[in-house]
Amino acid sequence: MSSSFSPELRGELLDDFYAECDELLTAIRQGLTQLEERVGKRESTASFVEALFRHCHTIKGISAIVGLRPAEQLAHVMEDLIRAWSSHPTLLTDDHLDLLVVATQRVEQIITAHRTGQGTPSIDDLVQRIGDVLSASHSTRQAAATTRELPPTSPTSTDSISHAADPSLYVATFSPSPALDQRGINVSAVRERLKAIGEIVSATPVVLGKGSIKFRFVVRLPDGPGDLSAWEADGVLLALPESAATPSLPAAEVEPSSSTATRDGDSTAALSLTPSQIVRVDLARLDELMRITGEMVIHRSRLEDRINQNGAASGLKEISVALGRSLRQMREAISRVRMVPIAEIFSRMPFVVRDLARESDKKVNLTLEGPQTEVDKYLVERLREPLLHLVRNAFAHGIESPGERVAAHKPVEASIVLSARSEGSSVVIQIRDDGRGVDFVAVAARATSLGLEVPGHLDAASVMKILCSPGFSTRDAVDLAAGRGVGMAVVANTVRELGGTLKLDTQVGSGAVFTLRLPLTLSIADAIIVSIGSELCAIPQVAVNEIIQIDAREIRLIQQSPVIPYRGGLLPIVKLRAMFKLPEASPERVTLLVCSTERGATGLVVDGVRGQREIVIRPLSDPLLHVPGISGATELGDGRPLLIIDPIAITQGVVRPPTAEHDLRPSAEKRSA
Amino acid sequence: MSLADTYVIFELDRAAYAVSSDSVLHIDMLDHVTPVPNTAPAVDGVVFSRGQVIPAINLRTRFGLERQTHTARTRLVFLKVQQRIVALIVDAAREFQRIPAEAIRPIQETLVGIQGNYVTGVASLKDRSVLILDVAAVLTLDEISTAPVPREAILPPT
Repeated sequence: MSSSFSPELRGELLDDFYAECDELLTAIRQGLTQLEERVGKRESTASFVEALFRHCHTIKGISAIVGLRPAEQLAHVMEDLIRAWSSHPTLLTDDHLDLLVVATQRVEQIITAHRTGQGTPSIDDLVQRIGDVLSASHSTRQAAATTRELPPTSPTSTDSISHAADPSLYVATFSPSPALDQRGINVSAVRERLKAIGEIVSATPVVLGKGSIKFRFVVRLPDGPGDLSAWEADGVLLALPESAATPSLPAAEVEPSSSTATRDGDSTAALSLTPSQIVRVDLARLDELMRITGEMVIHRSRLEDRINQNGAASGLKEISVALGRSLRQMREAISRVRMVPIAEIFSRMPFVVRDLARESDKKVNLTLEGPQTEVDKYLVERLREPLLHLVRNAFAHGIESPGERVAAHKPVEASIVLSARSEGSSVVIQIRDDGRGVDFVAVAARATSLGLEVPGHLDAASVMKILCSPGFSTRDAVDLAAGRGVGMAVVANTVRELGGTLKLDTQVGSGAVFTLRLPLTLSIADAIIVSIGSELCAIPQVAVNEIIQIDAREIRLIQQSPVIPYRGGLLPIVKLRAMFKLPEASPERVTLLVCSTERGATGLVVDGVRGQREIVIRPLSDPLLHVPGISGATELGDGRPLLIIDPIAITQGVVRPPTAEHDLRPSAEKRSA
Repeated sequence: MSLADTYVIFELDRAAYAVSSDSVLHIDMLDHVTPVPNTAPAVDGVVFSRGQVIPAINLRTRFGLERQTHTARTRLVFLKVQQRIVALIVDAAREFQRIPAEAIRPIQETLVGIQGNYVTGVASLKDRSVLILDVAAVLTLDEISTAPVPREAILPPT
């Protein structure tokens, strides 16, 4: 990067650069996966090839701007290889795709090394290999030649358009200035004006020395540009593409001292400037915004309490309610800003599986479902390693060797499905394989040999607990996870820290499903405030279907478990007083919150309902506080913590004695009984 | 006199204990502890401190001493140990004291009971002896939850 940038600007530009590279690399990986599925089939690959080309081109351009030459060069040869495909689809083979996969990984390594200030990995081998592939093909001889050394000018797709014999093509160069900006003339305004009279073929920012920038538009103006001097007054120079006056390579303006600027004048440094309204924001700034909103929510609830207590002037109540509404909208807006598609993690997995498959003889088809599911950015970051581990696990432990699969009358190619979907205010992520499944007895035996505690009763939940205990591993797991610092224990910890649940469903011989259920947003939620003894607790409102009051005499015991008649069936109930080890109260009327979970509805018996509140969720991060049924704490403004009860954990058997689990489950038969 | 570290001195069951002031974040009056079900017996519950939910450990219970109703002198000593923040409920706490390293002697086993496992030494000061507390040992998870709550006990059948 040009040394003329100030350190702050450099830092900010670099952050943008890294962020954009992340996005582009994600897009390239997705593109490669899609392309891979179509190789050898009679399906059109043109659109994928074109998108890949564009992404590589952009990486090349932005790498040049920051002066990251190895990434630029590698992206350049990748581009050449992709271009060769578009003219000769027969060249599109698995081997070439592999090469591109490796090259994509290398670009990522180079960028990571740049970010962390480490040495840049070498690219010579890859440039050589891609060059060999290209020179082996007669038709792409010329492209191969360009791979050796980045030429001072290389044709790009946009330039080739501008050179086409089209008399209506013009080049408009806009030099922004503070004076123009004050008159409301900025690059977007110019773009709009050009769009109004013609068609923008390409738009390219040209970075000059001292951090100044020009924008070069190639436009098709069927009726000509009109009054040139009027454009000029607004800082826009219009010229014919071939004209000597074309300011596209403003050599005279380039700072001779800056080598970057010289290259920047070249179109290889072009940063494709699609009309975009996107601003990148550091997650920490959004966290700050969310924290402040959380404080406002607490202040407002205090205000509301005070108004309710004092029966204040009539207008105040209305203002408080309006304020509450605005705050709610504000936090929803912030939450939306934080959402990103889970594809950020998912798109990596095909490569993980491909790498694993290469090292073994297993054949696996990985399917991604719902990659567009949006989750909080923080969640995505935290889930990266756990999901990686679960996929590796499925491959290493779940999937059998081809021989075993054939013997079991299964297709040789195994399947791993990684899916995401949002359910209410939760996101559900599943890793499903059709492998050998989890053998409870084998896991228990292994655990015993490792000196771990094994419960007498083996079910999916207790086996999951063994799998997630820090000391548990199988021989394979040691090899695979070595040096990665990840294991099922870490997966379980992360899920718990995020306030989620982890579940295993498996059948020996037919596969296993690991289900992660996580809250979509982490910090603020609606809750029902209930009293249990002298304490208040919060129960997330999303889990609550309805609040009912019944006569205490309606409670019956079925196999020692209390149930009540409910909607023509029986509803199992859980007394929260018991959870808090409080003596049973015997009111005439019992208040309960009907909560629905995957396993059906359950009634939570409370002493009283105090109202509905927006609460700020604080995690219980200390290991001493990791108890089932409690997902966090909050406060209502008086500085006293209030526990947040997790109805799913309470009603899902996590807290239930295993023997009673079956009885409590409101199965269809029981309801109709 | 050579090196002298600063310690926070607190009282528990008429004995004086010292924790290195490096690990003490702050000391608060005890207002309200919200009980958390199914935690280890020594965990009385949680308190809020500066936006965080902190476990409050009753040091009397931890040491197998008799519980005591909280008084105006009861204090919460907030400690940061190995990235964790916890609060110890102690009978009283009010002073900082420099204790020279040579004033600290290893403990004599006969002197102490359960708490012996959590004391690294005894410092003899002018008028009294002070037990130097091994904070990390006090907070060791396995030890705190020596009596794990059986799953069945979490929701006793009604």
